[in-house]
Amino acid sequence: MKILIIEDEKQLLESIMTFLKESGMNCDKASSLAEAVEKIDTSEYDCIVLDIGLPDGSGLKIIDEMQKKDNQTAIVIVSAKNSLDDRLVGLNFGADDYITKPFHMPELVARIKSVVRRRTVQEKNEICFNELRVVPNEMLMYVNNKMISLTKKEHELLVYLISNPNKVLTKESIAEFLWGDHADMADSFDFIYSHIKNLRKKITDNGGNDYLKSIYGVGYKFVAE
Amino acid sequence: MKLLNITNRYYIIIALVLLLLSSAFLAYRVVYVVDNEVSEHMLFEKLEIEKQLALQEDLQNIHFIVGDRLEIKPIEKFTSFRVSIKDTVIYDLYEKEKVPYRLLSYQQLVKGKSYNIKLARRLTENKQLVSGIFISLLLVSIDIIICFYFLNRWFSSRVWNPFYKALNILKNFDVQKGGNVKFQKSKVDEFNTLNAELAKLTDKVTRDYRNLREFTENMSHETQTPLAIIRSKLEILLQNSPSEENAKQILSTLDSVNRLSKMNKGLIMLTRIENEQYSGQQEIHLGTLIHKHLEDLELFITSRDIQVHTTIDNNVHIRMNPHLAGILFTNMLSNSIKYNKNHGDLFIEVSQDGIKIANSGEPLIIPGQEVFERFKKGDAPDSVGLGLAIVKKIIDHQDYTIHYEYVNNLHTFSIRFEKASIHIEEIEA
Repeated sequence: MKILIIEDEKQLLESIMTFLKESGMNCDKASSLAEAVEKIDTSEYDCIVLDIGLPDGSGLKIIDEMQKKDNQTAIVIVSAKNSLDDRLVGLNFGADDYITKPFHMPELVARIKSVVRRRTVQEKNEICFNELRVVPNEMLMYVNNKMISLTKKEHELLVYLISNPNKVLTKESIAEFLWGDHADMADSFDFIYSHIKNLRKKITDNGGNDYLKSIYGVGYKFVAE
Repeated sequence: MKLLNITNRYYIIIALVLLLLSSAFLAYRVVYVVDNEVSEHMLFEKLEIEKQLALQEDLQNIHFIVGDRLEIKPIEKFTSFRVSIKDTVIYDLYEKEKVPYRLLSYQQLVKGKSYNIKLARRLTENKQLVSGIFISLLLVSIDIIICFYFLNRWFSSRVWNPFYKALNILKNFDVQKGGNVKFQKSKVDEFNTLNAELAKLTDKVTRDYRNLREFTENMSHETQTPLAIIRSKLEILLQNSPSEENAKQILSTLDSVNRLSKMNKGLIMLTRIENEQYSGQQEIHLGTLIHKHLEDLELFITSRDIQVHTTIDNNVHIRMNPHLAGILFTNMLSNSIKYNKNHGDLFIEVSQDGIKIANSGEPLIIPGQEVFERFKKGDAPDSVGLGLAIVKKIIDHQDYTIHYEYVNNLHTFSIRFEKASIHIEEIEA
């Protein structure tokens, strides 16, 4: 998977590059509008991570440019403004998703994978991992081809975990991914624990491997090896 | 009491007192002058009588001077040169009552014979004189006061007009909306000075407010990127199998980053509401909205065994920005769950007048009226303390009112749609 990261903050750019590379993605970078346009014209990407606030103009211009050239690459907007307007404008402009600074790295990865899945394989956009197959948009998974229904939150949690294999995911980042504004409700961590327990049971009871590992005090990890 | 009424009242009281005093003085003076005049006149008459008597050959042949009573009585012996003037009453045959007279009596020698001469002049009754003066003065006073009252009102309202206009401008002044405050030019120097100072003041207040808002906004926005960098670095560190001790440090740093980030988001939200960036309004069915939010929170409600009691009038719609409505109910409802107790109650009441949300819980450790202040979080150290400040900001933005009280062990928030437009759906017959 080839990703172009357009971000003018060097430090943040570096972090995103590092994390995405560790997640097995192939990364390219651009730190200005001009540079970005040039890279998009010359290379093919699966997804573009786009910071709207660039020194030489709004990142929205890039989306505009791409649409003129009928470029279908998936776009995830990164913005410092958690504004509905920006979000709507961005999504209306043709962006696929929108994430607000400061974001959790695993969440960015999950979102990139999700938009790329949606863009590329229209019919068969299941997430496959060994004996597991998770169907997005439907609360279903297959373990050894056996269909198992999931609750909404279990499904979201599994997608988040499976999108970030071998990564330590903190409880905070999971809670925020699952509940957004309600993430700081008192017992959200307990719910994560029980969801993990249920998921693990559903997988192992049907002959799957135990991929879900708790990391004491920190969070959880989808262990792929 | 209005300024005009106060000045008018003082004027009228002073005018009354002055008029009373001056009419008393006037009456006294008039009586005094008239009195003196009578005596003086009678003394002149006495001279005339003396002259005329001296010319008389025979006192049988006397001419009375018309108007006064004159009595000449022969006496045996001239005893005194004294002239006495005194007031007395004489019965009047025509008026059939005693009337006041001034009596002048003296003795005179006419051709060797002594006579006692009495000259009496009728006096105007002082009582009548005084009451006449009083009545006419009273009428004049009333006239003056009435004219004065209306004239003063008219003058004052003309003179004070710029002041009232300035007052009105200040009353309508809203630092959040700012804008140029224009005061009217006046002929009165003091008002011009006042207006100039007020203009300077409002200008400064508006500018300071705008600066502060900009500062908060810039500050919160500009912090987002460094926060994103810190968080990303920490998350990368966490992936590199840190020791348990290091992981702990990283996690607690991440925690602080989370708090800071939440605080920033809250502040950005507040400034954004202040900046009127949520303008588009929609008709919102409150029942539907509340049920949707309760559904989102269901997990947290059931896990703590909180009983939800709803009394919702299904005809209540409000006009509001949908995003703001979302934030309002997210904050209020999650608050009522977060600060509820296990097996507690949550009451939601929606009527045409407003919304009431009440939850069981321990009393606050901060005064009730402070719950809406920024960064007041009572005994909830994990909270950022902006949730209810945002609620209040949205309520103000909507021209609603919100009130908090703790009754019957319930934290009760009452929202009233005061100036708001409530739309009652026609109920189909």
